[in-house]
Amino acid sequence: MNAAQSLPMLQNALTVGAILFSLGLVGILARRNLIVMFLAAEMMLQGISVSLVAWSRYHGDWGGQVLVIFVLTVAACEAAVALVFVLQAFARTGRLDAAAWQSLREANLVRTVDHELPSIDTLPPRYPTLAPAGVLPPTDENEPLQREHV
Amino acid sequence: MTPLSFNPLSSGSLLSGAVVATAVSLWLLLPNGRERGVARWLGTMLGLAALAAFIAAGRRLGGLGEEAVFLVVSVVAVISAAATIVSRSPVYAAIWFALSLAGVAGVLLVLGAQFLGVATIVVYAGAILVMFLFVLMLAQPAGLAPYDRVSNEPFLSALAGAVLLGVLSLSIGRLSAAPPSCCSLPSRATLTLPAATGAPTQPAQPAPVADSLEHNHVARLGAELFGRHLIAVEAAGLLLLVALVGAIAVVSRGDAEGTPSQASLHTADRRPSR
Repeated sequence: MNAAQSLPMLQNALTVGAILFSLGLVGILARRNLIVMFLAAEMMLQGISVSLVAWSRYHGDWGGQVLVIFVLTVAACEAAVALVFVLQAFARTGRLDAAAWQSLREANLVRTVDHELPSIDTLPPRYPTLAPAGVLPPTDENEPLQREHV
Repeated sequence: MTPLSFNPLSSGSLLSGAVVATAVSLWLLLPNGRERGVARWLGTMLGLAALAAFIAAGRRLGGLGEEAVFLVVSVVAVISAAATIVSRSPVYAAIWFALSLAGVAGVLLVLGAQFLGVATIVVYAGAILVMFLFVLMLAQPAGLAPYDRVSNEPFLSALAGAVLLGVLSLSIGRLSAAPPSCCSLPSRATLTLPAATGAPTQPAQPAPVADSLEHNHVARLGAELFGRHLIAVEAAGLLLLVALVGAIAVVSRGDAEGTPSQASLHTADRRPSR
């Protein structure tokens, strides 16, 4: 029996799928940037895909892989339509913030209030520098330019 | 593992410790308005410890580590997925997500789904992710936005995800090799490729499924897709068309209602010159 069809391999792959799904869930729940929320949704789809392929492999059945192809299709459609909505939302509010639309919330939910954030101590970005070419480096006059003996 | 004595390294306590460590590490790592270096460092260390505990628990539960390649690509996928959701900058999140997709594609390849591994790279990392990055470049303000530096209920979210992960891991660990008799379906991959007529499935042959998904992989996957699932393929094509038309319709109508569109600006510019 192939190693990829054994029960431990199935459990490992299902665990990876479960971890990806849970991380995507955390991302959807916690993050406020609309784009990052959609990335998290795609991550949940990835977890589902891994689980489906693992089951397909375990049972020697093509159904799981075929279903993953449809998941890819639907994810592409979802990304297109969702990004259009995100762009429309950005055009209206100027922010990619999910809380910018909190006037649509239920009446008994508390309002999301942004507190003043401490400023980031902004260090100037350090870019790699190149030594200027064609400039004679400062030399010590006492240091001999050439060695006397090789 | 004796059930009577409490073994601190039993899979159950390892798993629960991993769940707790996952929750705390995600809570520490999620954006919370302060750039706490110590908390992020601690969260990273806790997350790595949680990953190690999961690997150890998985080795006890199911024997993880049989395939070193699988271990490497799955660790890449999981770590970069965690980095995706805790990155402050959405651009970095998207790039971490690309790395996570590479890991997932590696997992799919190890599992024997060659076509899906390649398709994940091409469709997700090549098309969908680039589209996300385009939108980010269009809409991202300079620097870190305030809403990127805080989270909605970071502790509850991390706890919810970790508890879900623990429950899923427990149920995965309890999988047994012998399925209940109600659910043992005949393996369809062993059948000769049926035409679209839905040929009656022969009763379960003794499954010689050892490598049945390996040979002529893409050809057999395509035959299955366009044979048994032909109607679904048509529906997926229709869905793509509908999404395309819908996206364009939303864009054009939003322009007509709200801000002046590019086309009307052009006509407004050209009108005096005529």
